Amino acid sequence: MTALLEVQSLSRDFGGVRAVNRVDFQVKQGEILALIGPNGAGKSTVLNMVSGVIPPSEGEIRYNNQGLAQVPGYEYAGLGITRTFQNLQTFDDMTVLENVMVGMHTKTKSSLFSCGLNLGRARKEEQKMREQAQMWLEHVGLASLAFAQAGSLPYGKLRLMEIARAMVAEPTLLLLDEPAAGLNHTETAEMSKMFQDIRANGTAILLVEHDMDMIMAIADRIVVLDQGTKIAEGTPREIQENPKVIAAYLGTEEEEGRG
Amino acid sequence: MKQVIQKWGKSFGIYLVLMILFPFVMPDEYYRSVGIIIGLHAIVTIGLCLVMGLAGQISLGQAAFWGIGAYTSAVLTTKYGLPPLVGLVASAIVPGLFAFILGRAIAGLQGYYLAMATLAFGYIVQIGITEWEPVTGGASGMISIPRVPFFGDSELSMYYLIWAVVSCVLLFSLNLLNSRVGRAFRAIHKSEIAATSMGIDVRRFKLNAFVVSGMFAGISGGLYAHYMGILDPQPFGLHESIKFLTMVVVGGMTSIWGALIGTLLINFISEGLIAMSEFVPGLQGDIDTIVFGGILVLIIMFMPEGLVPRIRSLYEKSRAKKAKAREELQRMERKATT
Repeated sequence: MTALLEVQSLSRDFGGVRAVNRVDFQVKQGEILALIGPNGAGKSTVLNMVSGVIPPSEGEIRYNNQGLAQVPGYEYAGLGITRTFQNLQTFDDMTVLENVMVGMHTKTKSSLFSCGLNLGRARKEEQKMREQAQMWLEHVGLASLAFAQAGSLPYGKLRLMEIARAMVAEPTLLLLDEPAAGLNHTETAEMSKMFQDIRANGTAILLVEHDMDMIMAIADRIVVLDQGTKIAEGTPREIQENPKVIAAYLGTEEEEGRG
Repeated sequence: MKQVIQKWGKSFGIYLVLMILFPFVMPDEYYRSVGIIIGLHAIVTIGLCLVMGLAGQISLGQAAFWGIGAYTSAVLTTKYGLPPLVGLVASAIVPGLFAFILGRAIAGLQGYYLAMATLAFGYIVQIGITEWEPVTGGASGMISIPRVPFFGDSELSMYYLIWAVVSCVLLFSLNLLNSRVGRAFRAIHKSEIAATSMGIDVRRFKLNAFVVSGMFAGISGGLYAHYMGILDPQPFGLHESIKFLTMVVVGGMTSIWGALIGTLLINFISEGLIAMSEFVPGLQGDIDTIVFGGILVLIIMFMPEGLVPRIRSLYEKSRAKKAKAREELQRMERKATT
């Protein structure tokens, strides 16, 4: 297994505050890597840098052995990196189906004029987009809501819609920012199952999540951040037993021991 | 074409029938000329709807593109003797180029800043037209611009020529709305971050929307010049830009049909004011500016989504209600029979 994504000494400053400090990790082809840590550990910032939303202050991100520093944000999807958002970024005035169809943008090429004139190619692409989007809506269980206005959907469904929207671009690396936030137990379990299917089909996942049940169930490896610094890396079992991680989550060891 | 008709079905059918029948229902020459002006406005507002309603970019300089289109075709045909058709093609391309350059220059501006930049552009163009006297005739304008030959040059044939263009622009925009490009516009409007992460080059698509709207306005301007036969810089200022904006906002920014309906409505009000001013002398002069300003404020306060989307959502609600009532009734009947 070769490294799909290589993050080296990645740092990010906001004003005088160092949100992420010299973080290294790798995502291998077809694995699920979970990025965990207490609130404010810098997980989402790392994800935003890896997806090209904000540039790193220092360090390097390499994808398929290509540096991403000079790549503009809109080219990431075409390279095979797509994402979902912690604070949902849905297109509320479109239908659910249309939202997912936007995800096919990089898979289609029709120009403004061929779209406006509804030429054969544009029509063919439109058909393809519709079918693929429909297929992914079925995968995530939203097929019956395809023609509902996205703005009218509850939170949990919108999360699923964002996943469909990211997956319809057929990424090799899927970035998920707290996909299980606000979901109940059953929904989380269903979602975990779905992520395993996605991995089985060859897409690697970088997962930022708070839900430990989900992480322990599906993550191949875990990277733990605390106050912007990586404090541990390993398999779920190793992480569960790591005293540094326990300290970061539950306070210092002594207090734990006495309590 | 068949597919298009199927896709837009009812609305487009109704539109076609009304559009074709109007000159016979209202056989008066005056109403035909009003119909022509409405058509010319509609071409501009449909373009403005694309850039403002779909892509979410405010333009307060739409009348400038209209003016550039008008003067391009007028100068080419009157001064250089080119046929009106060539003039009309140029009246689409030249404003498109202006829109491209302006769009490139102000790429990255948003909200108020974009509004200010387009406003300034509008002023520059109007002043430019006024001052470039050797070519544009300055403030006194141009005369004897040839008409476009289209089955003669009666008021009726002009009406059909212009509404044929409106229909093409309308179809183009409706197609665009539900295509990859239209969805990209709408995605940018809602969330530039999400659009970028889906692979949409936000700057390029904003620029595209801007250029297309400039071209539409230019075509309309060219037709306006040939229809009027005379031109002066007065109608191509902020006043007209605001009027276009009001039309789009009243009808509902996010709807292409809204732009058309808004254009109709504002022109009806305008005609109503003119008719009333015969009896009420106080309504003469620039009263329409005050009325349109008032309408704009009221719409933004009480119906920001605009007329067409509001009516559509009311209709859908009532339909859902009816369906529910019907279900209830059936259930009760079933209960009664068992």
